[in-house]
Amino acid sequence: MDFSLLDQHIINGLVLGVIYAMVAVGFTLFFGVLNVIKFSHGDVLMAGSFAALIASLFLSQLGEFPTWLNLCISLLFAISIMATLGTLIAQHLVLPLRGAPPLNTLLITLMLGLAIREAVRLFYPNGSNPKPFPRLLPENSWIIGTMEIRQDTAIIIVGGLLAILILNLAIRKTRLGLSIRAVAQDPETARLMGINFKRIVLGTFALGSGLAALAGVANGLYYHEIIFDRGLFLGVIGFSAAVVGGLGSLLGAIIGGFLFAFLQTIGAIWFSVPAYKDVFAFVVIIMIMAWRPTGLLSEINSDRV
Amino acid sequence: MKKQDKYLVTYCEILLTSTITTILVVAFLIVEKEMLLGAIIGLGILGFFIAKGRGIPHKIDQVYREHPCVFYLTIVSPVIIAIVFCRHEHFALFMIASVAIYATACLGLTLQLGYTGLTNFAGAAFLGVGGYTVAVLTNQSIPNVLVILLGGLMAAIIGSLLILPVLRTRGHYAALVTIAFALLFKTFLEINDTLGGPQGLKIASFKFFGLDFNEPLLGSSFYLSYVIAALLLMLVVFIITRLIEKSWLGLHLDAVRLDETVASCFGINIAAWKILAFTLGNFFIGLAGGLYAQMLGHIAPTNFTFADSLILISIVILGGIGNPLGVIPASFLIIVLPEKLQFIQEYRFLLFSILVILVLVYRPEGLLKRGLRSFYRTWGRERKLEN
Amino acid sequence: MKTSLLQVEGLTVRFGGLTALSNLDFKLGEGDLLGLIGPNGSGKTTCFNAITGLYKKNSGSVLLRNKEITHSSPQNIYRNGITRTFQRLRLAIGLSVFDNLVIGDAMHLNTSIYFNVFRRSNLRADIKNRLEQAEEILAFFNPKLIDNIYQPIGKLSMIDRRRIEVCRALISKPSVLLLDEPSAGMTHEETRDFMTDLMEIKIKTPKLGVILIEHEMNVIERVTDRCIVLSYGKKIAEGDYRDVSTNKDVRAAYLGED
Repeated sequence: MDFSLLDQHIINGLVLGVIYAMVAVGFTLFFGVLNVIKFSHGDVLMAGSFAALIASLFLSQLGEFPTWLNLCISLLFAISIMATLGTLIAQHLVLPLRGAPPLNTLLITLMLGLAIREAVRLFYPNGSNPKPFPRLLPENSWIIGTMEIRQDTAIIIVGGLLAILILNLAIRKTRLGLSIRAVAQDPETARLMGINFKRIVLGTFALGSGLAALAGVANGLYYHEIIFDRGLFLGVIGFSAAVVGGLGSLLGAIIGGFLFAFLQTIGAIWFSVPAYKDVFAFVVIIMIMAWRPTGLLSEINSDRV
Repeated sequence: MKKQDKYLVTYCEILLTSTITTILVVAFLIVEKEMLLGAIIGLGILGFFIAKGRGIPHKIDQVYREHPCVFYLTIVSPVIIAIVFCRHEHFALFMIASVAIYATACLGLTLQLGYTGLTNFAGAAFLGVGGYTVAVLTNQSIPNVLVILLGGLMAAIIGSLLILPVLRTRGHYAALVTIAFALLFKTFLEINDTLGGPQGLKIASFKFFGLDFNEPLLGSSFYLSYVIAALLLMLVVFIITRLIEKSWLGLHLDAVRLDETVASCFGINIAAWKILAFTLGNFFIGLAGGLYAQMLGHIAPTNFTFADSLILISIVILGGIGNPLGVIPASFLIIVLPEKLQFIQEYRFLLFSILVILVLVYRPEGLLKRGLRSFYRTWGRERKLEN
Repeated sequence: MKTSLLQVEGLTVRFGGLTALSNLDFKLGEGDLLGLIGPNGSGKTTCFNAITGLYKKNSGSVLLRNKEITHSSPQNIYRNGITRTFQRLRLAIGLSVFDNLVIGDAMHLNTSIYFNVFRRSNLRADIKNRLEQAEEILAFFNPKLIDNIYQPIGKLSMIDRRRIEVCRALISKPSVLLLDEPSAGMTHEETRDFMTDLMEIKIKTPKLGVILIEHEMNVIERVTDRCIVLSYGKKIAEGDYRDVSTNKDVRAAYLGED
């Protein structure tokens, strides 16, 4: 076994883990406050990366900006657009259908995902093909012992972890976070305590979708290219990660994300055909669902009689 | 008005509806100018609202229950007339066959989603299993009809690999399993070289007792044989689905869908019924996929994407979840419309996803709502006669 | 001495750290009508769910006619002759009255594919028999219900739905019937009518054992032979209504006195 290759696998696994965790956190947040799974989440992520791409290209048209400024503006643009989109989805499609059968919500969010995917494919110039994503991060490498790590990779890992950490703190310490936890615990009581249920739900969707946009940008920065149907893959994997960690648990989602990346990396090493990496990931999802239908860290799902 | 006169009027109305619908459908299939097509669609929509205003759908339903001969007269014979009329039009025949094939697959989904409540978001993948089985086996010396049956069987077998997670999960989790399978299947096809990779596979023509389906039949288009085969397949699958619905089997499937707790308190083995519905449904989808592959003559992974699975689900929803008869007009709408109106072809996934969202929000049971179960033709009528 | 039908010994159900039912013992003889009462959350419905196999029992045993059914599946418990109704009505709203009733006798339906798909004339005869069977049981409760046999459940009034649910539980001729708060959502008059029906069932099927969960004390007083009081999952009293209602522990449990 080539050890430098092993290093690369570990670093690659870490990046994937951070991205998956960011997606999984979104799923877990939505499930916590509303008991819904928003299957279009992955496509919001993809749309976020395209929004960042547009902003970045627009800025480079305007003139010479330092890359860090370009990155910050694009990132902010993507996050704010996706947070708005997430809020709109929650307000017009998810909240009004709270009383509908769960199957309908499921179908609607799946169809919405398809609509977002297709809109990007059709309305972005030549959208069916992969688009190069600008390299906005420094590409020098650091050598630590025998290990070589590129700066962009390190920034993605650290930035992603930081974002998750800040979100975690926000949920634990701020008033908004407190309200979100209250709604997740018991929507009725929370409402009686004077918490504006609707606002909390919208806030949660904005938060989760913003994080998805960040994950989308991280994905673009890492692979240097984005494509319209990548969001579907990331969404399914992120959902699986959230399920594995136990839906509704923030920490579980993060653990699930890294666990999933770990399994996928093992798969990549095992098969040595990188193309089978995704096939392997999906086989793992199906096997986990067969083995532990509601996740490894278990979620109570009792039917009240 | 006397009772007999009233019946006469109803019959005339039904006959007229059937004739106009047939003419519009045939015209829609043959005409190529987009202006004319638009006019036909406009007429169709106008006609639909007039018919609805006069309560014709309800009358049709009643008359069909009482007199199946009217059913044959107003549905089966127009289809035959339409086919004879279009016998030289390759494209129209291809469309008719495609609609029949998609409807067959959606009948399989109706069994799963509509009756039993099993979410299967890998419909196109099972279509693909049937198609690829046929593609691999046709070039061996196995009779072609048997090959298509094997395609269905293979879909059922591959489906049974998913049985364990499908049985153990519900709702969102179950959806995740089939979505993962749909993505897995397409990715697998794309990177697997023995199955042709992204380029796909070519399929030799369909032969049935010395009759080559790719040769013109009786001086008409060669698609005619496929149209007949597809319609026969659809008819058989439709009848089986209907018989299942109108029997104790359908009642058990409904009970499983509506309330698993109650079902288990009344001795119903939930797992067994789910296995039956999932396997039989996949078998039907596989059969449809096999015939589809034969007709296309060439299949590739792009024929069986996740978006196609969602299209299949859309047909089931638009047709009214659990309403087998609704599947046929819904397939027509979703398959033929984008093919004829080339300017929406590119946008079809976007348009249909928005359409389905609207239907789900404003008419959650689908466009043609499933009625109450009747076990046989005179069901529910005996009591009224006594009074 | 009546023949023993159902015998529950040391039945305990825990959810995580919460003991929902602890060490419950009771016997039900043929023809008994046993009341199960107690404040909200005292474990009455949990007891039904445990007996019918929906919940796992942590310890204890359930015997039906001396046959061990403690760890049987809900399906097998039903086949052995225990049926139930639910506190919140659980009928299939979209299905017809007939469909809902027939499901109650699912164990006697022929579900072979060959019979259902290819033997249609036999199936049709079978369905006709089932119709008669369903009409018979409806006639017993309320002859007007027969006219609604082809109607969807959604069109019926609350009390009629309750009646249909009891019919569904009775159609398979069980030996034990568990009624989970049938008067919930009914007016006083409706409850009275319903209980009259129940007494008639008792007369027609003298061997049927019934356990009734009920909140209204006058109902318990009127219809039950004996009742059990639960509080926090424990049995705190057992006996006829007069004894129980004067019991000090029972008063404390209901009124919160100590």
